[in-house]
Amino acid sequence: MKVSLIPNERGNVLLCAVCTIFILSLIAANVLLNCTARYNQASNQVRSWNEALYAAESGADMAYNEVRKIASNPTNAFSATNGWTTSGTTYTSGTTTFGTNSMHVSETVDLFYTDPTTGNAWYRIRSKGTSPLQGLKRTGMDDRLSNGNRFVANGSTRGDGDTLLRKIDFKYDHFTATYGPTGDGTNKAIVAVSPAPQLSRRIELIAAPVTPFEVAIKVTGDFYGLGSAAYIDSYRSSVGPYDPTVKTNPSDSRYADSQSGTVEIDNGTATIMGDIYGNLYTNGGTATKKTLNVHGTIDNNVPFTLDSFSIPTYLPAPQASPTRINSNTTITPPAAGTARAPTVYLLSSFDKQLTINQNGSSQTYVAIHLTSNFTGQIDVKPGVHVQFFIDGNVDIKARDIINETGYAGNLQFYSISPTDGSSQHVNIDSPGNFVATFYAPSADFTMNGNPDVTGAIVAKSFHGNGNTSWHYDRTLNFLGDVTDYRIASYIEDIR
Amino acid sequence: MKLTHHSHQSGFTLAEIMTAMAVAVVIFAAIITASLAMQKIFNAVDNYFATHIQQLRIIDYLNRDVKRALIVTTSVDQQTVTLTIPKYIIQSGDAEAVINPSMVGAMRSPTISTTTSGFQVNYGTTTSTVVYAINGASILRTEDGVVTTIASSTDQLVPSTTDADLTNTEYSTMAVTFQPIFTSGNVAAERTGTTVFSLAYLRNKRRG
Repeated sequence: MKVSLIPNERGNVLLCAVCTIFILSLIAANVLLNCTARYNQASNQVRSWNEALYAAESGADMAYNEVRKIASNPTNAFSATNGWTTSGTTYTSGTTTFGTNSMHVSETVDLFYTDPTTGNAWYRIRSKGTSPLQGLKRTGMDDRLSNGNRFVANGSTRGDGDTLLRKIDFKYDHFTATYGPTGDGTNKAIVAVSPAPQLSRRIELIAAPVTPFEVAIKVTGDFYGLGSAAYIDSYRSSVGPYDPTVKTNPSDSRYADSQSGTVEIDNGTATIMGDIYGNLYTNGGTATKKTLNVHGTIDNNVPFTLDSFSIPTYLPAPQASPTRINSNTTITPPAAGTARAPTVYLLSSFDKQLTINQNGSSQTYVAIHLTSNFTGQIDVKPGVHVQFFIDGNVDIKARDIINETGYAGNLQFYSISPTDGSSQHVNIDSPGNFVATFYAPSADFTMNGNPDVTGAIVAKSFHGNGNTSWHYDRTLNFLGDVTDYRIASYIEDIR
Repeated sequence: MKLTHHSHQSGFTLAEIMTAMAVAVVIFAAIITASLAMQKIFNAVDNYFATHIQQLRIIDYLNRDVKRALIVTTSVDQQTVTLTIPKYIIQSGDAEAVINPSMVGAMRSPTISTTTSGFQVNYGTTTSTVVYAINGASILRTEDGVVTTIASSTDQLVPSTTDADLTNTEYSTMAVTFQPIFTSGNVAAERTGTTVFSLAYLRNKRRG
């Protein structure tokens, strides 16, 4: 028998092909893994860094909301029930956690400045927002900027690229370690972060008081006026007395101050006549420069609101007398007082003349609270600053307002908003001129005749048909009680 | 029984070897080519992502500084941005630091001044100047003379910033593009397709 031993020489092409594909697949998978892992890491860091700012700004908004309550609802500002603790004039929040990524935020607010003229307080808001960093404790894609100094615990050499910008706390809080928990260099400590890693950003905002008389006329409702030959301009009393020629003389150094006779109307319905040497703002109005003598800017998209007004809570106890002005009366306050601690008079009626003298040669501060209507006459002598709070209506003639100081800011009328929602009005008839300001956010303001007015008004509505010459004093911008707060400065602590 | 043993265990014929070698060369050439292609893809994608991250970094740097800037000005070619920023942190050489060197690095308390435009919040008596500019393949941020390279890429990163100053506000728009290294046509679409855009308002603008 013959046995043939011819070996099987068949190839293994399929195996080779599979192996080749497998190797190439491994390489491809490695490419994807490297790229996506690094990209995701880096993009997570970018996201968390931005989220930390959102958190910080949210915290600042919460703190700002509390600051605004100081003007509108002081008894409920920084209340313990909302998690705030108070130490003197410093307020500290608890930690608020929110969002799907468990961001958290904490804030501190402190009174850092008191205006010496008005006594209005300025507040500093510091907010720290933190966002946990998703993924592993890895750096991003910084190799293109590597200089060999990464993660050195030194503020001047700490990393580069993303590390330098985002300052990720992989394990320990770099800020507390380097600058202390409040950033002032005290109580430095190595503190582990939790959860780790995480990113924190810190911002500092300054809340500045908004004073009532920032423009010549400000109303939330209907506006009609003034007469067709009327005008509203401005000047700055701290520079010099009013000069009617300045508003049309651009070469005059005071010209810039003459162009702030601004009118703000939170309404689309406004009948505007006369010349306005300032800006005109409406809320949805149709004012155009073709039809109006507005020498400044027209903006028909400026909505605003005015809170109702209540008497300040800081006023001292009133004097024993007088308690009513039903005959001509002269008072000399027993002390000069200050803007925040004036001499207070509580009056139940006022239909005759009240003359207020200066205390010696000192600037004298007086507050009057009238619990009924004002139909009398007031005479403010030089050196006297009067805030006149009125519960009822005002029905007087322009000549009944005698402000011998010459400065509108020295005679401020405030109409206290009725708590029952009833209507309120301020009517000023001819004859006469006056120098004063009115803050009456719940009142309908009517002015008849052609008075020469120096001052500003804030009201619910305004109607004036006379050919009035109205001069807004730009120093009013700094006077009066705080009515709200606005953010005046924004800083990020980038350490 | 006669056992016949075929002992001619000869190798492949020349033709077989040549054929096998030719096939092998083709296979290895394919593997090497594919590997090189993969390597190039890896480099390209890695570079693209890395440059993209740097785009975001430039935008984030600019956004952060614009938000806290008092003044922003851009050059005509839109590639150099100069910002004036409050000096929140006491730096070496500042008046406070000269009096008390331990104050370097501490925060300043703001002061309030009155100007013809109204109240003004000040951090110290001077401000910091920050300049963003392109230098070769790098984007530089210079703060009071101290230079930091915030991005560097061979992909021709180009930031472009415009500044809009309105009546009562101001904002800056920023766009950063680059030319991916794996592109071949050098057409505009290859650059514009990488655009990252951002807009930031000056929260610290001093209003007149």
